[in-house]
Amino acid sequence: MSSAPLLSTTSGFRSPRRDRPFPVAKAALTVVSAAVALLFFLPILWWALASIKPTQEILSVPPKLFGFEPTLNWYRVVLLNADPTAFNLEESGAVGRGSGGGTFYSIPYLRDSFVVGIGSTALVLLLATPAAYALSRFRMRRRKDLAFWVLSQRMMPPIVAAFPLFFMFRNLGWIDTYHGLILVHAAINAPLATLLLMSFFDEVPVDLDDAARVDGATRFGAFRGVILNYVRGGLAATAVLAFVFSWNEFLLSLVLTTNSIRTVPVASSTFTTAFFTEWGYLAALGTASMVPIFVFILLVQRHLVRGLTLGAVK
Amino acid sequence: MANVNRAATVDPRATGRGSVVAPAHGLTRNVLSSDRPWLWLAPIVALLLFIGIYPLAYNLWNSFREFSPMLGTVEPVGLANWARLLTDVRVREALGTTAVYVSAALLIEFALGLAIAVLFNAGPWASGLWQSLLILPMVVPPTVAAVMFKVLENADYGALAYYLQSWGITDKVEPLLGGTGRYAIPAVLIPDIWQWTPFFVLILLAGLKALPTDPLEASRVDGASAWQTFWHVTLPMLRPMIAIAVLFRLVDLLKVFDYIFVMTSGGPGTRTEVLSFYAYQRSFTTIEWGYGSVLGIVILLLAIVVANVYLRVFKVAW
Repeated sequence: MSSAPLLSTTSGFRSPRRDRPFPVAKAALTVVSAAVALLFFLPILWWALASIKPTQEILSVPPKLFGFEPTLNWYRVVLLNADPTAFNLEESGAVGRGSGGGTFYSIPYLRDSFVVGIGSTALVLLLATPAAYALSRFRMRRRKDLAFWVLSQRMMPPIVAAFPLFFMFRNLGWIDTYHGLILVHAAINAPLATLLLMSFFDEVPVDLDDAARVDGATRFGAFRGVILNYVRGGLAATAVLAFVFSWNEFLLSLVLTTNSIRTVPVASSTFTTAFFTEWGYLAALGTASMVPIFVFILLVQRHLVRGLTLGAVK
Repeated sequence: MANVNRAATVDPRATGRGSVVAPAHGLTRNVLSSDRPWLWLAPIVALLLFIGIYPLAYNLWNSFREFSPMLGTVEPVGLANWARLLTDVRVREALGTTAVYVSAALLIEFALGLAIAVLFNAGPWASGLWQSLLILPMVVPPTVAAVMFKVLENADYGALAYYLQSWGITDKVEPLLGGTGRYAIPAVLIPDIWQWTPFFVLILLAGLKALPTDPLEASRVDGASAWQTFWHVTLPMLRPMIAIAVLFRLVDLLKVFDYIFVMTSGGPGTRTEVLSFYAYQRSFTTIEWGYGSVLGIVILLLAIVVANVYLRVFKVAW
């Protein structure tokens, strides 16, 4: 390994002359990175292939990469609301319906998941960012206790929280509402968002606040105008995580909704009955739902990669 | 951290377009210009109290009651549920299983995640693409991932099981899932590791990107090797992010449920029965709601203790 580039944390564009690794090292790095990423990608590839395989091929072993007759029928039903009986897809005799009365047509599920995911992510960022800044910057008594209390709000297992929340929501008339689920998912993500952002604010030198305030900015002005720009990478990572946790959350979404709102994980669970799992539909929905999130992550990635340039503060 | 002092000037690039630090007016000025921390903290505290306090109170109250199948009602039982905790062998076994599961998952996911974050940060071509591909396992709902791996690990038609058998790692008698359960815990750990290693990669990579570069350059100028720079400079500066990532994974792992529920239902026997699955069994299979609440509170208390020990042992400053 040549002088330091392998473990360097500076990305190339900051001081290109010194940090650019030899092409050989860079090529080796790329090969290893690709191998790691592909290893983690394999189950998803298998899943995506299953979504275009006819029923009898889905579970064949060893799994076939080629040499099967690809079909888009699963997607026709899941995304375009085609009549599943027309394709003679099912061996289960479920005839177009999962358990629990749901259809396999999944655009409404995707819509519900997106509304709740984006709503709760926006809400939690809005509430957690000032809180994280305060925990990082202000001197206050019992600051650590408060931070720990925030953390502790994630410790109750959903299995025992689900029932009381159901009673509470029923009394409020919030079962089957977007705002109810958005509030719950925001609360689930609040501890992670607050503490993660706090640790990013901790990395930003207090000098920057002071300088802005000397320039006449208020506390809020310094926070919004200056400091926020330095935690953009942290905000991006937090947004991705909050969205992902909301997208994946199953139990509370199941208990706090009945029919008019149904998120993707809850809908997926209705594709599996006690006797039969509709692999094709499950794989098609899973693959289809991954595409928009992948795009979302790629977009947010920009901020992750560019992050901040504290090194430029000389 | 912020132990690296830099000169107190504002980087104009950081503010987007020149120095636009607008003074606030009116209400915002009065409310938010203050240093009163509660104004900044109140909204999130209100949200957490609103969603969190009723489930806690309900479970505390419920832990002193029990459903009576004879009467069909819930009756007060005093401290009986709590006393039962002390003599319940399955709780002790579940504690042990939880400890094994949590420590194995945490160690593997953290080590792998840190290694991959450093690798991606070292500047391969197309690092954004590898990074985005790697995050994908996280966006599969755990319940769905558990179903996927239940198939992949199935001894008869699972692809993973097939390859493991053809490489001679497992055999038909003792497959990954099923058999005597020799590999039951690794079998449920596989989807966990697959899904949550990216969690560490995401946080640690964001942390690595956010590190100030001066100390690293100073270290290099002083002639430190790459390994020394990583061990003595990068890693200590990364500590706050590591602390938060480990802390949250720890807390989430203590409640792990989905993989076990879908893949093994705690079996074979009680081989993979972790605490939250046992709580589920008591609450919903044997309909002992009160005792289920007790177990839920036990998980909460356990998480509080473990998190505190972690913060102290690793001297996490936050």
